Amino acid sequence: MTRAATSPLPSALKSALDDNHEEDDYMSMTIAEPTKPIEKETYTARRIRKQREVEARSRPKSKAELAAAAERERDIALSTALPSTSKGFQMMAKLGFKPGSALGATTNPHARTELLGVVVKEDRGGVGMENEKKRKFREEAAAVAGLEKKQKAEEGDYRERVAREREEKRIEGLCWGATRVLEGLEAPGEGANVPVRKVNVLWRGLVKEREENEKERRARYDLLQSLSKNASYADEDEQDRQALGREEEVVDEEDEELDAFKALEGKEKLRRLVEYLREKHFYCFWCKCKYEDESMEGCPGVDEDDHD
Amino acid sequence: MDRRSDSQEHGRSKRRKTADMDSRTDPLLADMKEAPPESPESSDDEGGVKLEGYYDRPATPTQGKRVKQEKKNVIVIPETLQGHDRFGSSSKKRQREEEEHDSKPNPYLAHQDEKSTKEESDPKSNPYLAHMYEEEEVEEQGYNGYSNGYGKALNRTNGISKASTWARFPRHKTTAAMAKKAEDGPNNPFSGKPLSSQYFNILRTRRNLPVHQQRDEFLGLYQKSQFLVFVGETGSGKTTQIPQFILFDDKPHIQHKLVACTQPRRVAAMSVAQRVANEMDVNLGDEVGYSIRFEDVTSQKTILKYMTDGMLLREAMHDNNLQRYSTIILDEAHERTLATDTLMGLLKEVAQRRPDLKIVIMSATLDAQRFQSYFNDAPLLAVPGRTHPVQIFYTPEPERDYVEASIRTVLQIHAGEPEGDILLFLTGEEEIEDACRKINLEADELVREADAGPLKVYPLYGTLPPQQQQRIFDPAPAPRKPGGAPGRKCIVSTNIAETSLTIDGIVYVVDPGFSKQKVYNPRIRVESLIVSPISKASAQQRAGRAGRTRPGKCFRLYTEAAFKKELNETTYPEFLRSNISSTVLDLKKVGIDDLVHFDLMDPPPPETLIRALEELNYLACLDDDGNLTHLGKLASEFPLDPTLAVMLISSPEFYCSNEILSLTALLSVPQIFVRPASARKRADEMKALFAHPDGDHLTMLNVYHAFKSAEAQANPKQWCHDHFLSLRALQSADSVRQQLRQIMEREELELVSAPFEHKDYYTNIRRALVAGFFMQVAKKEGSSKTYVTVKDNQNVLLHPSTVLQQESEWLLYNEFVLTTKNYLRTVTSVKAEWLLDIAPTYYDITTFGKGEVKNSLQRTINKIRRKEATKGPGRPKTNAH
Repeated sequence: MTRAATSPLPSALKSALDDNHEEDDYMSMTIAEPTKPIEKETYTARRIRKQREVEARSRPKSKAELAAAAERERDIALSTALPSTSKGFQMMAKLGFKPGSALGATTNPHARTELLGVVVKEDRGGVGMENEKKRKFREEAAAVAGLEKKQKAEEGDYRERVAREREEKRIEGLCWGATRVLEGLEAPGEGANVPVRKVNVLWRGLVKEREENEKERRARYDLLQSLSKNASYADEDEQDRQALGREEEVVDEEDEELDAFKALEGKEKLRRLVEYLREKHFYCFWCKCKYEDESMEGCPGVDEDDHD
Repeated sequence: MDRRSDSQEHGRSKRRKTADMDSRTDPLLADMKEAPPESPESSDDEGGVKLEGYYDRPATPTQGKRVKQEKKNVIVIPETLQGHDRFGSSSKKRQREEEEHDSKPNPYLAHQDEKSTKEESDPKSNPYLAHMYEEEEVEEQGYNGYSNGYGKALNRTNGISKASTWARFPRHKTTAAMAKKAEDGPNNPFSGKPLSSQYFNILRTRRNLPVHQQRDEFLGLYQKSQFLVFVGETGSGKTTQIPQFILFDDKPHIQHKLVACTQPRRVAAMSVAQRVANEMDVNLGDEVGYSIRFEDVTSQKTILKYMTDGMLLREAMHDNNLQRYSTIILDEAHERTLATDTLMGLLKEVAQRRPDLKIVIMSATLDAQRFQSYFNDAPLLAVPGRTHPVQIFYTPEPERDYVEASIRTVLQIHAGEPEGDILLFLTGEEEIEDACRKINLEADELVREADAGPLKVYPLYGTLPPQQQQRIFDPAPAPRKPGGAPGRKCIVSTNIAETSLTIDGIVYVVDPGFSKQKVYNPRIRVESLIVSPISKASAQQRAGRAGRTRPGKCFRLYTEAAFKKELNETTYPEFLRSNISSTVLDLKKVGIDDLVHFDLMDPPPPETLIRALEELNYLACLDDDGNLTHLGKLASEFPLDPTLAVMLISSPEFYCSNEILSLTALLSVPQIFVRPASARKRADEMKALFAHPDGDHLTMLNVYHAFKSAEAQANPKQWCHDHFLSLRALQSADSVRQQLRQIMEREELELVSAPFEHKDYYTNIRRALVAGFFMQVAKKEGSSKTYVTVKDNQNVLLHPSTVLQQESEWLLYNEFVLTTKNYLRTVTSVKAEWLLDIAPTYYDITTFGKGEVKNSLQRTINKIRRKEATKGPGRPKTNAH
């Protein structure tokens, strides 16, 4: 349309040109689908159709249908305002009536512009029953709607939740890895020689877990053994065990420090581990290598993101 | 004209031939004969008294002036002198009569004598000529009643000179003490006769009424303001006492004026007038009278007139300033009827033209501020009613079925509450009769099984015969054995027991919260009574009914929350719920031209007025500019709906004005057919005897003709009973017919009939019906039983009560009843040709939207054209309309 924009032609001529242009636009011309040739209705077919139509028309409508039709007509009529072509309206207009205004003294605040509604009572429900019904219906509807909404909300959350869970799992994994690294750095080859309580809280969980696993394994083994030589093992008491140097971890014992650490969020746990590794061992968990000194030259930064 | 006289001749000659028809037609034809085209004076003579309301002469300017002069004189000269001096001669005659009365021991009889002789001999009793004598008469009466202070009074033996009585009453400066003294007698201050002992009995109770305590306060406000709003709850005595208070202060008898007190209901106007006549120790129709539609019981003596608000409005048509009244009291204004609201708007205007006119608005509810502000901040006086506290109970849950719940509640009260009668409010006749039956059955069981006392159940609704209505005042039944459980009565009533009727002894009120209320919608032009929730004000009124005699209880069959949330504060005024075309016609006649800005308290929605004006225009009562046409003026003379009035006025053109007159009367009274639940089949069989295949209107006419036959008139009561007809309705139709006939004669509308045997006898009547009811026509829809209303396109069914046998394509209806189904009631079959011929403007084919109605009309037009064409060229075509 640049032509139209720059053209100094008078608008009438311009539009004429445009019209021409449109007429000549072969490119956008749609070619009608070739319509099927109308099949000639056979006499029988027409007769049957006619008969059906007559039957449909002559079939006495059921009372319900009639009532519904009457009500529909009534509602239509009740919601249609009288036309301003009415002679009554014209008479009033001559007296200065304007549509939308009320009759009577202009100062009268009670003058109505709208008609009162016509409500036909259809049953013997008491005052308030109708609204009670409506209220119940609304409540039920609301309950159903609420349920749906909840489901929808959950649906919407799902992806988020899954992503979050996956992230948590990943971080958990990283934490475990960092803990293993730390354990390796701090207690290479050491096993259960150090009492769990004395182990650095950062990797104490690992030790504790291992011990618990061991205990469970032993318990299972014991259980299996007990079938045959239960008695001998049962006789082994606290002192025997101490003597045997197999100091038992009291698993149930409270370990507030560890609990506090465990209660931390995965990210925080990881941050602490990574920081500890850097400070104590000049080890960057992300670079997966130990540096010479605390300057840690070559490591791009503290965060995972720095190592992308 | 030729044709008419021909057919009349024809009728006379053939009449005796068909014997069995004779009995039906006879009364009518007799009627026709007995109404010869005499001069209007003579024909008016017999009924003029009753119809005084319609005969009100417009106040001539000279008359008005004279009255004013007299009013000025009042202050200077004792009024009593004027009458005596000016009308001395006629007073003498009256004086003689009075002396005679004095000698007679029975003043009541004497009075009757006087009346009869007077009416026979005195040309002044001719109401048609009354305007010529009005002042004399009043003066005379003043003399007769109260002003014989000079000369002749010396002959009297009674102690107090009435002249001095009234001379000591400076108008609008009196006090309660002064009035009290006059009331104490010994002679009646108004009629001059000695007061009876019954009077003093009543006087004692009157002085105990709450309003009496505030008589001085009332007088003070009344005297200093043109408008006064008076609020008194039911039982305060306002309706009976306030007008009397005013009589003593306003002295209408001296002013040659009247005090009017309007009532929304005819029954109330009649019964209150009777009561006040007793209180004042005068005969009803003398000093105190009433005037209702089709009945006027007043005389030249009347100084206090109870009347329906509609009657005062009719009077205003001929006397735009209401000159004959010095004070107008609008009672029960809270009911906000069409006529009350119209009158209020009118009086607001009249008051400006007549500063001497005093207006008192009386209301029973406390929303009086609206009245106050509407009447230019009029002063307000409120008098507490004498009522006892009423405990109100609500249901915890909404009721599933309010009728069942009502019955249950009544029985629970009967079984468990102490002595006291029950009043149950239901909505309509059928529901009430049904409930009465059920309560009776259940109560019998209760008596047998639970040793409850006897329970008497009485229905109460408007169409109930009066003697049955009276039964509600029967005392409650006695216990079955001495010392047994007390008996009680239970009244099951429509909302007429809410305000208009007071039944003593009611202690328990059961209020399901519904009443039948009129609704009108101009869009589908339906005016119908439908069951709707009542207003808070109504609910309070109903509850108040329980506290008339002692503290009571009101059981509301809805929750308190529903009361607060679902009920409107007040019932909508009738103006918002009615077809106002009749009122619009009245207002036009009263001289209100700018209906758009007419200051009504609650102006109707504009569409209601649009429709009313349009209808009146189609009826040719208003021209296109909204001015009253000749037909409109004529129609407003009839106390009828414009539709009926126009039909009646045009009926002579169809040679059936006698028949249409009867039909109009029949349509103006309650249902003439009785169909008791116990004998429905028999009632229907009896109705079939009168049935005319062309519809209900003609059937009603047959009934009326049969009713007027010698056979029926021999024992009308038995005859009506045998034929399941309402004697009361037929009798009142008869009297309405009489009244309407007088108006027709006065307006020189001919009363004619075609001979009964003429093939067009019934066709003429049907055509005449179209002349009025052409806007109430429905067309059959295809082959189904439903009809569609013309122009409004509403699907409707015929009411099961119709006698219409053949399925007519077009019919006109009297009533569109809105229920869960839409019904047409009282229908008559008509022809499309008639519609096009008689109401060409309304049936202008170009104004119709596409549809079956238009097609059918078009076919008819084509048919007529073809017919015209075959008849030969040159004849005017029907579609030229």
